[in-house]
Formats: sequence, structure tokens, C-alpha cells
Amino acid sequence: MPLVLHVDSDRWRDHLRSTWNADIVPVAKGNGYGFGNHRLLAEARALGARTVAVGTYFEVPAEPREDIVVLSPWRPFLEVPQSRNVIHTVSRLADLVSIPAGSRVLIEVMTSMRRHGIGARELRHTMLLNALDRIRFEGWSLHFPMGAGGTSANLREAQQLAQAALDVRKSTLWVSHVPAQKLADIGDDVKLRMGTGLWLGDRGALTVRATVLDVHSVRRGERVGYRQRRVSGDGHILIVSGGTAHGVGLEAPTAAATVRQRAIAMAKGSLDAAGMALSPFTIEGKQRWFAEPPHMQASMLFLPSAVAPPAVGDEIDLDVRYTTTNFDKVSMD
Amino acid sequence: MSDFSIRTISADEHAAYIAAQPAASFLQTPGWAAVKSEWKAESLGWYDPANPAVLVGAGLVLYRQMPKVKRYLAYLPEGPVIDWDAIDLGQYLRPLAGHLSEAGAFGIRMGPPVATRRWTAKTIKDAIAGGQQPRLGDVRPDVIEPSGATVADQLRKLGWKPPRLAEGFAAGQPQYVFQVPLAGRSQDDLLKGMNQLWRRNIKKADKAGVEVSQGGPEDIKAFHQLYVETAQRDHFTPRPLPYFEKMYAAMANQPAGCCDFRIYNAHHEGDLVASTIWVRVGGHSWYSYGASSTAKRDVRGSNAIQWRMMSDALAAGASVYDLRGITDTLDPNDPHVGLIQFKTGTGGEAVEYVGEWDLPLNKALYTAFDLYMRRR
Repeated sequence: MPLVLHVDSDRWRDHLRSTWNADIVPVAKGNGYGFGNHRLLAEARALGARTVAVGTYFEVPAEPREDIVVLSPWRPFLEVPQSRNVIHTVSRLADLVSIPAGSRVLIEVMTSMRRHGIGARELRHTMLLNALDRIRFEGWSLHFPMGAGGTSANLREAQQLAQAALDVRKSTLWVSHVPAQKLADIGDDVKLRMGTGLWLGDRGALTVRATVLDVHSVRRGERVGYRQRRVSGDGHILIVSGGTAHGVGLEAPTAAATVRQRAIAMAKGSLDAAGMALSPFTIEGKQRWFAEPPHMQASMLFLPSAVAPPAVGDEIDLDVRYTTTNFDKVSMD
Repeated sequence: MSDFSIRTISADEHAAYIAAQPAASFLQTPGWAAVKSEWKAESLGWYDPANPAVLVGAGLVLYRQMPKVKRYLAYLPEGPVIDWDAIDLGQYLRPLAGHLSEAGAFGIRMGPPVATRRWTAKTIKDAIAGGQQPRLGDVRPDVIEPSGATVADQLRKLGWKPPRLAEGFAAGQPQYVFQVPLAGRSQDDLLKGMNQLWRRNIKKADKAGVEVSQGGPEDIKAFHQLYVETAQRDHFTPRPLPYFEKMYAAMANQPAGCCDFRIYNAHHEGDLVASTIWVRVGGHSWYSYGASSTAKRDVRGSNAIQWRMMSDALAAGASVYDLRGITDTLDPNDPHVGLIQFKTGTGGEAVEYVGEWDLPLNKALYTAFDLYMRRR
């Protein structure tokens, strides 16, 4: 019945072990990259990680055994867990003054990302210098843009900003989206936060499968589904597990970076407009059309008569974004 | 009650009058006129016509010229020095308006040194932590000064316009300041009133071997260098060196010794880590300007120098140590809150003054000036 993430656990853990080292801080946030944060924390612990990063204060485990860095910046209106293992990220001068004295703090420096952070020109502000004395300063945090040749540019920016920050106070640098082998070029005490590259770095170890729940043969022009649309040809309607509750058919806005990607997006968009949408489910190596928009926990697919339909209970593959999908089960095979 | 008379007085007369008062603002000493040398200035004295030799009040007026016309805004910063508890303030203010009108003023701005409300450090700390009241003025005060309301009420009746509420620091003198009361307290009491961080930092500076000393005019240059360094760090426009040289020369050598003006230096192993300007008039002492080095923050020179200035104010018999302006924001999202928190650590109190009041003498010119100031 369910939508399952199958993990080839030996292969996956081999990848984790070969990727992780003591300078890497595993990130466990959001839906846990498909695995769930609870499992990721356990895996990080098994690797030997003494520090883990989470996204928000809600994701801090109840009684953390290791140091937990919270990536979302501290704000005076947030309810904050009181554990001494929590390391806060502060991104504004005012917050450096407001955060309780003695808090463990990373100071985030604004990068070209322009998301959060204290600007490079504010790094010597008297308020910041005085705050270094009232908090337990754990280092500087730098979050860079991703991909698109950004890494070499990131490296240059990282070197410049790191220098500016280290001139104010020597400490650990915590970075994201910098190649792991380049850390030494930025400084001699650098920690790399890693999420996707660690947990999803070897896609070959992961398969997502849905179960066929029902199969009905249909003739061209017959009405099907909630919306009673006519089918476009003879074939089969398949009811498969996986719907909007799992995140199927709800894509995060894609960042179409290249002309080709944009063209594909446009073509898909016009298909969307024509009421046809390609589903993430593949049968006989091809993505199949939705017969209608996905339901909450299942989807209706149209399979043309040229293809032999699977049987009820068969599993079919699908291609989803791990970070936006809630699997019913993660199966460590 | 008949009105007092008013006349121009000499700097000597003015200083002698100030020196005989329990307290007055240093902006009301005759020396301040020399600091603001780009404005024409005048010392005024009030007296009872029956006894012209005896002054009953004094005021320093700075005439600020309006662009393109030979008319002035007459400005009495943190003054005048009169009996603000008088039953009829009109006795002082009517002759003042008459005199200044004749002198070519289109309006008067003054800052009565009259407190209206007070909030203790604890109240402020709780308010910031609670995050429910983003403005100090909305927090229930610990003390309401009766004279504040009386003065404001009288000024309104006499045609004066109350201050406009402004965000951040208004153009004139601050309406909210932070003060540490000294009267009847010992050094130990002062330390006990401070928060843990202040006490720890004062100790730390002492252990690190920070030495605070009183300087002289020869130290102005070094003070200024450090102040420019601070300005670059905190992105404000520093005043030029001659301004401070002029200030020292004018303020430190006033007639009748009406003003005690000092520079303090904090050194660590020969490096200047903090430098400040301290002023006292009667029982009121101020920390006026401060600068600190970017290097060697960990020796806590800023705390050491503040502690010394506070202790010296106590030793000089001052009843108040004034850390000057704070903005009235308690919004933890506002960077200005840092200033109030630094000052709150001293364990003193925030004090609200009645603010700066205006009396238009020429409606059209005053309105034009008001618009000009608001558009700047």
C-alpha cells in the first residue's frame, strides 16, 4: 500500500563513512531528507559526529546528547530550548545584545546569499565587540549560494569574509556549500555543514517505490476520476499509492538554471495548461501521465493499451524530490 | 506676581551664578558658547527690579541663523537655569520672549531641565525581556515626578509647543537619558547596583592591569584618534579634532570654576584602550564622549574607565552620574536597544525629561523653519 523509500543500507552507509570526517557537521532538518531527522541523528552519532546542525528550534531533540547547532537565526520572539548543548546562530547586532549572557553563539556573516547575517562592514561594531565578551562565542557562520560555477566564486568570497571575521576574533569558521577538499584554503579551523551531499550523495543507494492498488481497463472517451474527465485513448487507469499528502505532484518551485531546463519547464507548463501533467511514476521505463491531479494518498494514472498493466500489489518506481516527500516508510534493505 | 526683568550679563556674572547653583547643565555654562562658536551667543540674567544686583536666574542663548534671512532661532540647550518649581513660570518666560523678540528671534527653543518620569534598571530589563512594550514611554514608570506635569501644563498655557515625538535621536538634546544616582551611596553600593557582567568586567580590567588616569589638554589628540576609530567601527560621522580642542579650552577654564571638565585615559601595557570626556557642574556629572580601541577588547578598558569616572564623580560630591542619551526603544529587534542595555548594566535609572519646547514669535518664519528642519 505505502510509498516506500528503499535504502541499500550497506551502500548508503559506505558512502556516509567515506564522506564524513571530523570537520563535517551533518545537517538534519526539514523532512530529514526523506529519512526523517530522528534516523539522521542516530546515523550521525554512529558516524562519530559530536555536533549536528538542525534547521529550526522545533527540530532540536528533547535531550540532545551532542552539540546541536540551530541554523535559523535566533530571534527575541522565539521559544528557545534551554539545553546547554544548543548552539545559536545570531545574525543581527541587536540580537547579540538581547540574547541571554553566556549563550553559546555562532555569529552569521552576511554573504552574497543575502539571506541572514551581519554585514562585513559591521563586524567591528562596538556592540559586536562587547558582545563577544558576554556570550560563549563558538565561531563565525558563513552560508554560500550553491552550484552554477558558484563554488570557485564561493571560495574567493569565503576567503575574503573569513579573513575579515578572523581579524575581529580568531575562532572556528562554519561554512556551507564549499567543496570539502577546499576547506584548508579558507582557514585552518573550518567546519563544513553538509546535508544533501552526505545523506543524498549516492542516489544509487536509494529507490522509491509505490504500490499498485487497483487497475481498471477504460475505453477512449470514458469519464474517470473526481473531475470526470474523458480519457484520451484506450488503456488502463491505475490507482497507485502516493498523493498530495506525501508531496507527490506538489513540486517545490524549480530553479531552472539553464535555457534547456527553462524550455522543458515551459513545455511542461503548456502541458499543465492543457490539463495534462506528467506524473513522477514510471512504468516500463517511462514516466506516465496523471489521469487527473493526485488525490490525498493515491494517484490515478493513465496507461495506454500498448503497455501491459502491472498487477494489483506490484511495486512501481517513481522519481521524487527526497526533501519534499513524506514517505510512509523508510526500508533499510 | 509681577514679572522679573531680564538683561544681558557678562560671562563672569553668568559663571558665578551657575557656580552657586546645586546643579545645572554644562550646556548652560558660558563656556559652551565658545564651543558653538558658529552661532552668536548671549548670557542672560533675570533679576527682581527691586534688587537688580541679585540674579534669580540665568540662561545661555545660542542664536541659530535661518537660511537667507537675518532672523534667528534662539536656542537654550537644557536650560534656562531658573526656578522651575515657580508658581508662575511666566514671570521668567514672558520677559525672555520679549527680549529675544527684540534681538531678532522668530522663535525660541528651550529644554527645561525638568524630569517627568523614572524607570529603574530592573523595570527596563523586565520590559525588554517581556518584549510587550516596544517604547519606554509605554512602560509603567517607577517614579512620576510631580513637577514634570506642572511645568508642561504651565508651558502649554503660556503658548509653548510641546516636543514632537521622534524616532531614534531627535535633532536637539535627548528627552530620555540614563543616570546613576550617587547621593547617599558608597562605592560598594554602586558596585552592588551593577549587573554581574559590569562587575565581572571591572574586575577583569583590574586583573589585566588596565590603568585609568586623568589626562590633560595634551591628550585630546590621542582621544580624537581613538574616537575616529570608534566612529569608523560604528558608522557615525566624527566631529573634527579642532571641535574638541576648542571644547577643552573653553570648558575647562571657565570663570568661577563653574565647570569641572576632564579627560580620562585607560591604558593597558602602554596602549590607549579607552578615552573619555567627563564633565561636572555642581552636583551633576556626565560621561559626555567616549572612545575605545578595536584591539584588546578583552581587557575591558571601557568598563574600567566608566568605573573610574563614576567613582570620581562620587568623590567630587556629585549626586548624579549621567550617561546621557538613550533612545526610548525597548524593541529587542532594534539595534539601539544595545545602548540602553549597556547603560542599564550600571544599575541606574532611565529618566524622561519634559523635552524641548518651542515658542513661535513670528508664525510664518517659525512654520518655514519647522518645515525645513523636518525635511532635512
